[in-house]
Amino acid sequence: MDTVPVEENGKSRREGTHLLVRAGEYACALPLASVRRVVRALTVHPLPGATAELEGLAEFGGEPLPVLNLGRLVHAPAGPNPTYPVTVVVWVGPAEAREMLGLAADSALEVVHVPAGSVVAGDGGFLLGEAPVGGEVVRVLNLEALGRAT
Amino acid sequence: MSVPHARGYLLLRRGGGLWGIANAAIDGLVRRGADYRITIGDSGGNGSGVLAADEILGVVEDLRVWPLAPVVRRFWPQPAAGLAVHGGEPVVVVDPGRPPAALQSGDGEDGGEGDRPDEGLEGRQGRE
Repeated sequence: MDTVPVEENGKSRREGTHLLVRAGEYACALPLASVRRVVRALTVHPLPGATAELEGLAEFGGEPLPVLNLGRLVHAPAGPNPTYPVTVVVWVGPAEAREMLGLAADSALEVVHVPAGSVVAGDGGFLLGEAPVGGEVVRVLNLEALGRAT
Repeated sequence: MSVPHARGYLLLRRGGGLWGIANAAIDGLVRRGADYRITIGDSGGNGSGVLAADEILGVVEDLRVWPLAPVVRRFWPQPAAGLAVHGGEPVVVVDPGRPPAALQSGDGEDGGEGDRPDEGLEGRQGRE
């Protein structure tokens, strides 16, 4: 999922830049270029000793896939039990050394356009900032930063 | 059971996860009550000792091992040789020289087969 088709019926339509997902009480925007696939929540096997953010390991496409809990990553208050939880398979880290990662989220919502100029008040790292989208303030995430070693 | 110099990986379950240890690093495997003790010898580097397993799944001849990504090390600060997949399930491949805390038996280096005062009746029965 690298691009989103733009309508060609004469109407001007802004191309989608982010996938909007629900994580607890928060909506988070993931850059589309980093999203590989959205699948029904994968079976995750715990890793003893892992921090709360790391749910564990899953298998995806024959490869081991670490799965992080997106709600915990963004410190989202818990929401209602999700009906159709998903795992968003994404690329993290710099382009020359990207890694595949799963993000456990409550649901995938829609593809949206988030203008770069509308993002404010980020921490400069994983949380790029917040932006208004469709009447709601969403957390805009920087997945490249998530993959950097600390 | 001893499988020194054998090819492949011993697969075991511990803490709900699947783990793999290179056969060449294993000096012995004994049942201890409800679980198992795996002796890692000098061939495993400087981490000789005794590891624990809830279940032994068997031996696989080969595993494709992926290195641990930085993001995994960030949220799981444990040593490991890498990750693999077997039978559709992820496997943590153990670095025999630095086994993760989750596999430590707490028996110490001489705890492989000797009787110990803290070993309960259940443990003794399991060894018969």
